[in-house]
Amino acid sequence: MNGLLEFELKDIMPSREDVLLNQGMPVGVEVPEKIESLLGEAMRRFEESVAPVGVIRELTAEEFDPIFEGEGENSDDALLAGIYPNADNLALFAVTMGREVSREIEELFNTNDFASGSMLDATASIAADKASEVMDALFLEDLSTRALATPGHFVFGYSPGYCGWHITAQRKLFDFLDPGTINITLNQSCLMTPLKSISGLLVSGMGDIHLFEPVFGYCRSCMSHTCQERFRKISSPKPSTA
Amino acid sequence: MSLLEEISASLQKGDDNEVAELTKRAIAESIDPKEILDDGLVGGMDIIGKKFRNHEIFLPDVLLAARAMYAGMDLLKPLFLKDGMPHIGKIVIGTVQGDLHDIGKNLVGIMLRGAGFEIIDLGKDVPPEDFVDTAEREGADVIGMSTLLTTTTPMMTRVIEILKERGLEEKISTIVGGAPVSVELAQEIGASSYGYDAANAVEKVRELTA
Repeated sequence: MNGLLEFELKDIMPSREDVLLNQGMPVGVEVPEKIESLLGEAMRRFEESVAPVGVIRELTAEEFDPIFEGEGENSDDALLAGIYPNADNLALFAVTMGREVSREIEELFNTNDFASGSMLDATASIAADKASEVMDALFLEDLSTRALATPGHFVFGYSPGYCGWHITAQRKLFDFLDPGTINITLNQSCLMTPLKSISGLLVSGMGDIHLFEPVFGYCRSCMSHTCQERFRKISSPKPSTA
Repeated sequence: MSLLEEISASLQKGDDNEVAELTKRAIAESIDPKEILDDGLVGGMDIIGKKFRNHEIFLPDVLLAARAMYAGMDLLKPLFLKDGMPHIGKIVIGTVQGDLHDIGKNLVGIMLRGAGFEIIDLGKDVPPEDFVDTAEREGADVIGMSTLLTTTTPMMTRVIEILKERGLEEKISTIVGGAPVSVELAQEIGASSYGYDAANAVEKVRELTA
């Protein structure tokens, strides 16, 4: 599976509850009219400005070795080191919500409209995560079609900058994948523009290759707990894509 | 309710138009601009900060109040042209080099501004030298650094090293925060303080500048 992917808005549009939760408002809490209005406006702006697109390119573990190594800055206990050698299939990927939505977020913050900026930022962040999950699902579906994945296979994405995989690995990842084709660029600090973009490695394999004890140094301070959600998916009886 | 109390109440409701109108009225009634700032805007933001800390309100409430605060501050700024806006300390903040996540940093900036500090926000992906150069040039009291990525915490260490190299560590304090940062890490890298959230960061910066 190689090439460009376009996403349908309905597949990546965050729910009202997810955005509010991201803003610290638990499900069921009474939402004041002013905040409801902010949320509606953010979702409208997002729908009008988002241009979701992705790119994917399969590669072998041997091809991935130097990309993972990056510039030699990874933690000694980087999580991915123990996962990708056991994978059945790998692919590099990048997804972006496009330049316009990121530009709007920045403009709102620059004009001190933090409330609107933060709500739009949350909407776009969740949508980018959802696009990444759609990418997981599409890759798994494609592998299944080619008889390269069976029930019990799971695809999850791993990104530079997280879990001990140093951000500088982005340079080699970009050299191989060339996300410039979807207008994602890398700056000197290895950060992506547009801001609402995600890149990384898709790892396909049986569920157990994605399991680990979250006891690494970086786990102690991690607040995302994405791994816990993944563990739940793997342990659920119903096969899942991501 | 006095006019300044009305400003504070409108700010707490997040009504930026009303805050602007009331601030204009207060200026027209020749109320001392510093009083409008301290008792109306900063006073209102202080209550918002306390409510947020006590989980009585949520992030969007704080951000709406901040927008209202700026609506008032924009009207007061020209009145402080000679000496600049009064403040209780000058803080340089930014997200460290290698990281573009700035929502947390922005919130800290808003809360500090609301508490009466002057904020120089360097934005995101800020090189270590820029933090120190700016703080030195502007005569800042504190450098505040934020990060979300586990791999960028060494940039915080580098800022502290540069301060030491230039003999500024006694003059300019440092506070660090963000998801991968802990009180232990802050101590390990020699930061002056650690803020576990925006409201806590304000308390810690108050301590550092007392």
